[in-house]
Amino acid sequence: MALLEVRDLQTHFFTREGVVRAVDGVSFSVETGKTLGIVGESGCGKSVTALSIMGLIPQPPARIVNGTIVFDGRDLTKLSNRQLEDVRGRQIAMIFQDPMTSLNPTLTIGTQLTETIRRHLGLARDEARRRAVELLEEVHIPNARQRLDDYPHRFSGGMRQRVMIAIALSCNPRLLIADEPTTALDVTVQAGILDLLDELRAEHEMAMILITHDMGVIAEATDDVAVMYAGQIVEHAPVEEVFYRPEHPYTEALLGALPQLEDEGVRERRLTAIPGRPPDLIDPPQACRFAPRCPHAGLGDTCTTEPPELREIRPGHWVRSAHPASERSPQTQEVGAT
Amino acid sequence: MPDGIPSPIFCPPLHPAYMAAFVVRRVFWTIPVILLVILLTFGMMRAIKGNPFRNTERNIPASIQKNLERKFHLDKPWYVQYALYVKGVFTYDLGPSMLQRNQTVNDIINEHFPVSVQLGVFAMIFAVVIGVPLGILAALRQNSLFDYLAMAFSNIGFAIPSFLTSTLFLYFFALKLGKYTGFPTFGWSGWRSWILPSIALGLGPMTYFARLVRGTMLETLQQDYIRTAKAKGLRWRRVVGVHVLRNSLIPAVTAAGPLLGYIITGSFIIETIFAIPGIGKYYVTSVSSRDYSVTMGITVLLSILIIIANLVVDILYGVLDPRTRDQRA
Amino acid sequence: MSTTDRQARFNAALVQAAEAGQLHDAGAALTRSSLWRDALHRFSSNRAAVIASAAFLVMLAFVVIVPLVKSEDPYAVDFSQAYQPPSAAHPFGTDQFGRDLLIRTALGGRLSIEIGFAATIAIMVIGILYGSISGFIGGWVDNALMRFLDALYGLPYLPFAIITLAIFGTVNFWTMVVALTIASWFTTARVMRGQIISLKENDYVRAARAIGARWYRILFRHLLPNTLGIVIVFVFLELPGVILGEAFLSFIGLGINPPKASWGSLAQDGYTAYQTHPYIIVVPSIAIAWLILSAFFVADGLRDALDPRTRVTREA
Repeated sequence: MALLEVRDLQTHFFTREGVVRAVDGVSFSVETGKTLGIVGESGCGKSVTALSIMGLIPQPPARIVNGTIVFDGRDLTKLSNRQLEDVRGRQIAMIFQDPMTSLNPTLTIGTQLTETIRRHLGLARDEARRRAVELLEEVHIPNARQRLDDYPHRFSGGMRQRVMIAIALSCNPRLLIADEPTTALDVTVQAGILDLLDELRAEHEMAMILITHDMGVIAEATDDVAVMYAGQIVEHAPVEEVFYRPEHPYTEALLGALPQLEDEGVRERRLTAIPGRPPDLIDPPQACRFAPRCPHAGLGDTCTTEPPELREIRPGHWVRSAHPASERSPQTQEVGAT
Repeated sequence: MPDGIPSPIFCPPLHPAYMAAFVVRRVFWTIPVILLVILLTFGMMRAIKGNPFRNTERNIPASIQKNLERKFHLDKPWYVQYALYVKGVFTYDLGPSMLQRNQTVNDIINEHFPVSVQLGVFAMIFAVVIGVPLGILAALRQNSLFDYLAMAFSNIGFAIPSFLTSTLFLYFFALKLGKYTGFPTFGWSGWRSWILPSIALGLGPMTYFARLVRGTMLETLQQDYIRTAKAKGLRWRRVVGVHVLRNSLIPAVTAAGPLLGYIITGSFIIETIFAIPGIGKYYVTSVSSRDYSVTMGITVLLSILIIIANLVVDILYGVLDPRTRDQRA
Repeated sequence: MSTTDRQARFNAALVQAAEAGQLHDAGAALTRSSLWRDALHRFSSNRAAVIASAAFLVMLAFVVIVPLVKSEDPYAVDFSQAYQPPSAAHPFGTDQFGRDLLIRTALGGRLSIEIGFAATIAIMVIGILYGSISGFIGGWVDNALMRFLDALYGLPYLPFAIITLAIFGTVNFWTMVVALTIASWFTTARVMRGQIISLKENDYVRAARAIGARWYRILFRHLLPNTLGIVIVFVFLELPGVILGEAFLSFIGLGINPPKASWGSLAQDGYTAYQTHPYIIVVPSIAIAWLILSAFFVADGLRDALDPRTRVTREA
């Protein structure tokens, strides 16, 4: 059994304008030692999925209305707040997108590290400090001992993200959720952080969920990929499958929007943008949510009448579309390509 | 940043000694400010008809006139008078009263100022002890009935002039219910006489604290680092007590400067209404009886008090918020 | 209460708004008119602000219309009518001289509000002048003017106004306006300076400079018109503070003299008689609170309307 099993998760926001179905029936699992990438445009529900696992969605207005999140045999949706507090930081840790705002500006990073360690591992003050120094060294922060008493504003963005990672790893969690961990960073720093995450995941024998909108990050750092669109997973497969044999038109479009170098053997082409906008999640399209933007949805199709199911098109490769790439007639494929 | 921040001060990061340098410079900066404030007060006082620095146009007992001449050097040019007055301020020797024979401004301040300090401190304690928790609870239960009531109360309490609340307090709790409460209708002697004026004076600052703390708490609760604290699995108590409160009470500390002004202004009203022999009431008396040497002495005293309060707030702000220390570099 | 209370609450947001250049768009008249129309739309969809504006107008109407309708002499002394409780003829009762308190409250309000508006206008003029000189010239002039302002912040509000009145030796409409202005123009000056400085950084000002526009053109064409939004907000922030200042001065007997009335002096009359007629002080006090609250929420609504960004972040 996998470490984390999310089944049919539905997280909705109850606002004055109506019910926003931010996450609408998401299922996936993560195994120890593996990295699952969740990719999608902003607003597709990937962060809300992560926060739902952590029990950190803002309540109200948000609520998990359906589904189970089974972590290590326990359903997290059934736990009380206090029980969740014991899981967070200890079993499941999370790092966030913006390291500039994710650390408390008025506490030293030493305090912010040791408070987690002391909370979960019950170490004494100086023991916790020693562990904090080790952790800072582990994430490659120079002069770890001296920097422990510094305030966050004296660290660069990349360094702060390393501190965040150190905090996340401080209690040897079994699952690490990284929500866009490199988005706010300089390109030159991004690769370093990704490498560090990968290295630490292997060392600590963790499972990892890496959330991003960047297909490049997915290619570099994940084992499996879930592509999310409008609150649903539309394609779920091992990373090579997704890149070399994408099935869902949306995934194809995402890859089409990715710049590639000519000498990678790819013929010269223009970057393609995806026409239209993601649907309104208060009143999403009745059937296939991607249909309004899909180049393959034609008149007389089931696209606008029947919601497609997530089905296994090849072993381990799941897709939610009436027109996956391998089932299209050559003619429609031709149309889609132009 | 609070008002009254001096020019940017060189203060490179990474060393506590620079914090000390900041404090020293900030303290030194207050000296010219105090001199300037005394100069302004001095200039304005000299423009008043019947001021103590000229041979006056009104009848003053000869003995007092002689004291004035000796003390304020009426024969000297204004800048010498000013310099000598400054010397008087720093040596705490503010000259004779123009009205009370054998009384100096020092005597009057020594007699009345402690009462006002007591009143102000009680009012401030009331404001903080009630206002801050009210703001915290309202923020933690945002949009609840409690929140709405607390904020409605705060807005009304902020808008209603203190003379109305004081008078109503006086009427109901001292006059009508006096035989149960034992609150006197005037004076400042014993704890029973302290309660109504302190609450009346503290009510405005209390509502101010409540709204300020609620606002900053709500803002802090939205911050990413609070989400981080929760994601670390910290107990809710610690998240609020350490992460939220620490960051949202900093603005409340900086409010202490403006609040002193608030309390001083309020004390003029409250002391008049409750007939409390404090400095505010005496100030009003000194103006209407044209005892201008007293008026001036008290004005300078209050100014210095405000300047020092601003100084303390600035330094506290630097201590509480590590970012500002480096921003001053 | 000094102006510092409101100031503390709003300064941050205002200065922030100013720094982000939120309240202004490029100088083109077309853009500006739609900017104002948007602001009006946002303001009118803010329920609290609309109610507050209505309450504010009701108070203005009260002080203007009542003295026109009520024919009695507000100054005629008639001891047989002294201290009448509220009745149909005298809805607010009468005072110790038998004068109708309804009409006196309206007249007192007229005086209070007139003083308030006059002083607010004066504060705005001085504040804009001082602030734009400081911010526009910059350099050591700015530094000196700001240090001077720092020192002025050390002066206690009420004593400052009282001494100013003592210099005049007499209290009337104009001396009151001057005293209140002198005691409370600092905040406006400081905020205006911040505005001008942040506006100076805008590209359209740089562009104007680059094509050789004279300083007065830059100041009067590009900078000052764009501060209009914040000036309007500040009118509603300063007004209640000034009115309260006048009330305090009159209440402690250093303000408006009888037989003339302001809300403060009416409250003082009420206080004198509180043991037997406690309701007398209530009416002028409520009138003051009414004005303060409505002006406060109007200012709040205006600020939100003119600076959409703060509104969005607050709702998020």
